[in-house]
Amino acid sequence: MQVKILSAKFDIKDANKIKVAKKHGAYSTLDKVFSMPPEDVIELVKNSGLRGRGGAGFPAGVKWSFLPKNTGKPVYLAVNSDESEPATFKDRYILVKDPHMMIEGIIICSYAIGSHDTYIYIRGEYTTQVKVLQAAIDEAYKAGYLGDKVAGRDFKLNVTVHRGAGAYVCGEETALLESIEGKKGQPRSKPPFPAVAGLYGCPTIINNVQSIASLPFIIAKGAEAYRAYGTEKSPGTHLFGISGHVEKPGMYELPLGLPLLEVIDKVAGGVWKGRKLKGVIPGGSSTPVLLPEEAKTVTLDYESMAAHKTMFGSGGIVVLDETVDIVHLVKNLIDFYHHESCGQCTPCREGLGWMLKIVKKILRGDGSMADVNLLRELCDNIEMKTVCVLSAACTMPVRSYLDKFRHEFEAYVAKNDSSAAEAK
Amino acid sequence: MADKIKLFVNGVEVEVEAGKNLIDAVGAVGIEIPHLCYHPALGADGNCRMCLVGIEDGRPPLVPACKTPAMAGMKVLLDAAHIKKIQHDVMELELINHPTDCPVCDQAGECKLQDYYMAFDQAESRMNVPQVVKGKKMDFGAGVVHDQERCVVCGRCVRFCRQITKTGELGIINRTDDARVNIFPGRPLSNRYAGNVVDLCPVGAMTSRDFRFKQRVWFLKKAPGICHGCAKGCNITIDHNREKYKDDIIYRFRPRLNEQVNGYFICDAGRLSYKAENEGRLTEARLGNKARPIDDVLAACTREIERAEKIALVLSPNCSLEQMAAVQALAEKLGAFLSGYSDGYIKPGDGDGYLIQDDKAANRAGLGLLGIDCSREAFESAVQQAQLLINFNNDLTRSYKESDLKKLLQGTKVIAVSSHDTPGTALADLAIPVASYSEYAGSVVNCDNILQSFAKGLSKNNDLADICAIAVQLGSPLGSPKERFALLQQSISALKDLEPDKIPAQGLNLNDSEAANVTA
Amino acid sequence: MSDRSQLISTGTPFQFDKERDAEFERLIKRYPTRESMILPALWLIQEQEGWISQEAMAYAADRIGTFASKVYEAATFYTMYHLHPMGRNHICVCRTLSCWLRGKQEIVDYLKNEIGLQPGQISDDGKFSLEEVECLGHCGTAPVVQVNGEFHENMDVDKLKSLLATLK
Repeated sequence: MQVKILSAKFDIKDANKIKVAKKHGAYSTLDKVFSMPPEDVIELVKNSGLRGRGGAGFPAGVKWSFLPKNTGKPVYLAVNSDESEPATFKDRYILVKDPHMMIEGIIICSYAIGSHDTYIYIRGEYTTQVKVLQAAIDEAYKAGYLGDKVAGRDFKLNVTVHRGAGAYVCGEETALLESIEGKKGQPRSKPPFPAVAGLYGCPTIINNVQSIASLPFIIAKGAEAYRAYGTEKSPGTHLFGISGHVEKPGMYELPLGLPLLEVIDKVAGGVWKGRKLKGVIPGGSSTPVLLPEEAKTVTLDYESMAAHKTMFGSGGIVVLDETVDIVHLVKNLIDFYHHESCGQCTPCREGLGWMLKIVKKILRGDGSMADVNLLRELCDNIEMKTVCVLSAACTMPVRSYLDKFRHEFEAYVAKNDSSAAEAK
Repeated sequence: MADKIKLFVNGVEVEVEAGKNLIDAVGAVGIEIPHLCYHPALGADGNCRMCLVGIEDGRPPLVPACKTPAMAGMKVLLDAAHIKKIQHDVMELELINHPTDCPVCDQAGECKLQDYYMAFDQAESRMNVPQVVKGKKMDFGAGVVHDQERCVVCGRCVRFCRQITKTGELGIINRTDDARVNIFPGRPLSNRYAGNVVDLCPVGAMTSRDFRFKQRVWFLKKAPGICHGCAKGCNITIDHNREKYKDDIIYRFRPRLNEQVNGYFICDAGRLSYKAENEGRLTEARLGNKARPIDDVLAACTREIERAEKIALVLSPNCSLEQMAAVQALAEKLGAFLSGYSDGYIKPGDGDGYLIQDDKAANRAGLGLLGIDCSREAFESAVQQAQLLINFNNDLTRSYKESDLKKLLQGTKVIAVSSHDTPGTALADLAIPVASYSEYAGSVVNCDNILQSFAKGLSKNNDLADICAIAVQLGSPLGSPKERFALLQQSISALKDLEPDKIPAQGLNLNDSEAANVTA
Repeated sequence: MSDRSQLISTGTPFQFDKERDAEFERLIKRYPTRESMILPALWLIQEQEGWISQEAMAYAADRIGTFASKVYEAATFYTMYHLHPMGRNHICVCRTLSCWLRGKQEIVDYLKNEIGLQPGQISDDGKFSLEEVECLGHCGTAPVVQVNGEFHENMDVDKLKSLLATLK
């Protein structure tokens, strides 16, 4: 089932070094790119159907074409390497195993959109990864792939690594821009969209590491070759992360469109310890959970996920075995999203803290049915009332657990009731 | 005039100004969209989420009104069930961590949370888990006291210090429901407009050390006024109250919107200048340094005027145009020299190019418009020649050292017509108490040549006379307001075709008329 | 998150050392606005001192030419900035979803019981500090522990024991 498009050089020793990477084809697409008019590059990427791999799945080429022309302002490219959605750990492999593929992608994208400054926003926790990445960038400068004359062409490109410092919300593209500007990572209201007024108020394209890293393949082999993988509406491959209760967790490159349960069984070795499946989180912690029954018919693409009222997200699959305490899991999730709330919008700032306290109360055995109902109601009251979707990233999955595993919450409450009865 | 567009609110067509956001556009025609973080002077931030409105057939269907420009044909939903539910839900979330300390909170009675709770929530609290604990009674400097628990983190105060004063003392630190406003340690509020954060705060998080716990705001009567702290003439609200068995006292000045003059704000010095209206006042007529009935003192004044061969008059640059006119007419009648010398009211370099002016007088422009001489030489020579100086509220100790003033006034009797008991008043042979600017009506012309009228703000138990009335008692022929206005119309061409009560609320910009060129 | 507003004063002015000073000057050329240096400057301070004091924040603000309140905001918003001295070995245990599913609690319990450290605490001898952190992006090799920036994947108590033995 596994394919090697993005991960082609992952198993090659020292492929992060430019010498080795070049031997295996790094930077070989540049002659072709620079011979094409930028519009053709955008058209080619559009035709490939490459969708943003950060979570939202917006077609990359279409995003680029939103840039206004001739504004007299610089155009910026920001590469989103914040990768912080729980259960997501794919971009890190690119950064460490094949950073030159991403740098090559940056050159392609910059040329296509007419940008001369790239900021790679990398999450602060990636301490060892940032060193490898910076070393690769330094090599690329030395080799003339970055700097005043990229690959000898009359094209200037500077790439700067900007380190985050512990804030999930900076994965939201406008929070990321704020963070580069030196501010707190608080998402901006849209409109205006970054393509019009982004970094420093200038037109800006923000793409995920994996989206950018997919470009060399698309340029080298063409849109059709990319489309040969995946489904019609979800073409290409993805670096799926499979974690949780499986025998062989890890990062696997797969074409889109494969059946979820088959992938869990055949690629990740199935549910660990011979246990039964309780549920699957299909695309990172913010995506609604699937019951085993529902998971049977899901395939790993945007459309199938949507049809099952969940999301492809970042492709971070989490397998839950029969022993998982769902109430505890929900507490773990709310804890995360509450901790990461930027504190800007009232519903998210106040609401997630309240939800956390309520679920802790239920978990302690002090909860009532009213608390369970309140928790469920708050999901509706908070969701989509805020500038960004962080609160929804919490309430969507929490609602799914409350709806699909309500009996587990009720059991905690019942324990409370019976102990209360005993106390009498 | 701005272009008008038509849009629909709750299905009803309304005509609003184009180019504004929904809150301002629709607010101007009397439909309030609730909001906490938005303030017209600070722009839209969009964090409170109280102003979410529905847009029928719109994409997206739910928008923050503060960030949404009013567009022709827009169908705004405010009273739809789902919008009302959002307002209710957001209010509930605003309140879960808010202390229920309204009975001891200074903001009570002018608190947006109270108003919105009554308007949109009215539900019993469902908060049955512990609230977030934050800082109380924090001294932010500049007389501002902060309560982090009451704060709704709307960020108005932070934006004020960054955008308006550009001093940036405040920040919202932390994230999550631990987010809170704070100063950086050792760098407290140190700008000359800090008091505005108290007004800007929609809740009781920012309170004024000067005002807090002095009055419940619902007891305060509000009178519009003009600050006389400097030549800017900022528009203020005079909050005053007469408690039982006491006199009417001013408790605070607050800024009053005038786009043409001061916008939404005032400086701290102006804000605190209310104290001088309450304290240090001359309240009794004096003969020498003994209190006497005012009629006796006025009679004595008349005798002095008759006795003197030469008389000099000086008036304060804070006097209203009407007072200046009355005194000017008196001078003419007495054949006396009238001076407006008051260099001591000017503090060179103190102005900041924003609201605060070097000139600490409210109506120096009025002296110019009426052609009143302000030179020191002419004033001193007139005083030296005169046997009597009648001083209309000009605090000469601002312009002279006390010893120099004594020397100058040697051999000249002084009648002080004064609102305040200053060292200068103490030097006078006769003193007549008069009303100060919160106690009379009048007009002043500010540093930008904008003429503003103000009404009498409050009446004291023993109401003191306006300078105009004293001038008349001393012989000024301008007995009525009408006569005084007529004289002003002669000197200020912009007033020519105006009725006295037709001066616009935003002030009359004399630059727009030939008045700017008028010389006496 | 807990309140991070309490800053610690060293009582002495802060200054970049030569190396960080040069790095600051190199980086500032990469941005069109000086304020973009707020995060990088805080990182440089933390690299130099191990944590960020009140004086260091004020220094960063003045050096960049921005309000101290903005540096204060950033330093308290981004949780990787240490606002007090940490142990010589700073241990971060990921507490989020996949690490929780695969036994992060055993790791934390071991550290609690064996070293006597609660999350958020520093050992008396200053050797260790422990922090439970949110997702570290190593979910496929959970549970994961990060010590002084180095990742240790597929952790269990035995591995942790031998790891601790190597720390000074």
